[in-house]
Amino acid sequence: MTQTTDLLTLAQWMSPSFPVGAFSYSHGLETVVTNGTVQDADDLLNWLTGVLRHGGGWSDAVLLVAAYQADDPAEIDALTRALAPSAERLLETELQGAAFSGTVSQVSEATLPDLSYPVAVGAAARAAGLPATQSVAIYLHGFAANLVSAAIRLVPLGQTEGQQVLSRLAPLCAELAEAAVESRLEDLGTCSWAADIASMTHETQTVRLFRS
Amino acid sequence: MQIAPIRDATARALPAQPRARGTGRVRAGLRGKLTVLRDLEQSGSTKLLFPRSHEGMTAVILNSAGGVTGGDRFDISAQVDTGATLRLTTQAAERAYRAQPGEVGRVQTRLDIGAGARLFWLPQETILFDGSALSRRLSVTMAPDAEALIVEPLVLGRAAMGEDLAQLSFVERIDIHRDGALLYADRTRLSADLVRADHSATLAGHRAAATVILASPRADAMLPILRARLPAAGPARGGASLIRPDLISCRILARSGYELRKLLIPLLETLTETDLPRPWML
Repeated sequence: MTQTTDLLTLAQWMSPSFPVGAFSYSHGLETVVTNGTVQDADDLLNWLTGVLRHGGGWSDAVLLVAAYQADDPAEIDALTRALAPSAERLLETELQGAAFSGTVSQVSEATLPDLSYPVAVGAAARAAGLPATQSVAIYLHGFAANLVSAAIRLVPLGQTEGQQVLSRLAPLCAELAEAAVESRLEDLGTCSWAADIASMTHETQTVRLFRS
Repeated sequence: MQIAPIRDATARALPAQPRARGTGRVRAGLRGKLTVLRDLEQSGSTKLLFPRSHEGMTAVILNSAGGVTGGDRFDISAQVDTGATLRLTTQAAERAYRAQPGEVGRVQTRLDIGAGARLFWLPQETILFDGSALSRRLSVTMAPDAEALIVEPLVLGRAAMGEDLAQLSFVERIDIHRDGALLYADRTRLSADLVRADHSATLAGHRAAATVILASPRADAMLPILRARLPAAGPARGGASLIRPDLISCRILARSGYELRKLLIPLLETLTETDLPRPWML
């Protein structure tokens, strides 16, 4: 049984007020808004569905679960960093992970080393005895919510339109979380090539609001 | 209770296909200033040819089975000793044919690059036919000052035949270890569902793709040159990033295998600072 306090801990970790600096990363979204690929709510839903199911979302979910199950997450952390497809995606996972680890270490009894983001969340959830499926689901939902919020600023989209997209992504977050808890590292595998290219070309974009 | 009609699945299945096996092992080293062959082993459906090359040594891999299907198994390994240069390519595009249900073709490649040595892994494109099931693994180990140039071009279906991909399974795993530590990893998973859904973040309507990795002390200097050859829009487009010091990763999407080669050939010539092996001609 999931305890109510467990859900509150996860809600706290994945809320925009938890100081990991999520608001400054767009995961390549800024590039595709600039080049016209994402112009409205439907485009955003299509983009985020691909990123979640076949890109960073699925990857992070599998890595989070692997870290949750590991006595020592060091090897999974090294793999997570090696899997980063671009410099900015590496920065995104390293800086958010370090900030998350640091804050969790200060607000709970757990002591976490510097870890990449999904590995830090997996290790923290394990240390706090939180349920794995909900940890992944709320992580993915937080990831999607952050990108929706980036899109509201970039496209721009109305607040309600943004929330409509997020509502439609919630079942996908749940589905991926349930698959991820049954996964092993062999189940890693993405094909988000256009998203990878977007994050690579973001590096040379002249006007940028986001760090990725 | 309804009883399903008895149908012996095996009676309908095609006779078991012969399973191809191929092993190729090559080791190159330096004699004076020349890269020479130190070791060669080849068996089964894998043959290695050594055309004359201006610089370093070139090895061309030939698959006499004509492609890969379910149950096939190929193992390639190459070792380059201190200071030597080896270019590896394939005689033709690799075809992944329709596999029997539950059967997967496996291709494993191991590359080991010694101090100051260079290895260019330049296979031609792999064409994934409808119904193919292919699992590939590429493992690279390299010395801190070695150079690895890795390209893996991929074409989805036979475009010229307007082939629809109703079923497809492609899994690829790439690991590069430099000085004993994991430097770069890539995991690709492609299915017919993914091709059909065709999200803007995945294939975005393209039918060909390539990943190019340059792990080298000259990577930092090559970044702007590489970027200049990667258009942001058009029939073939891509991006490149210096992920960490001495490591560039590059992804390319193209509308067709032809558009992919048109972009890749000059790009690879720039990166290798030489002409590509002959099989690469457009």
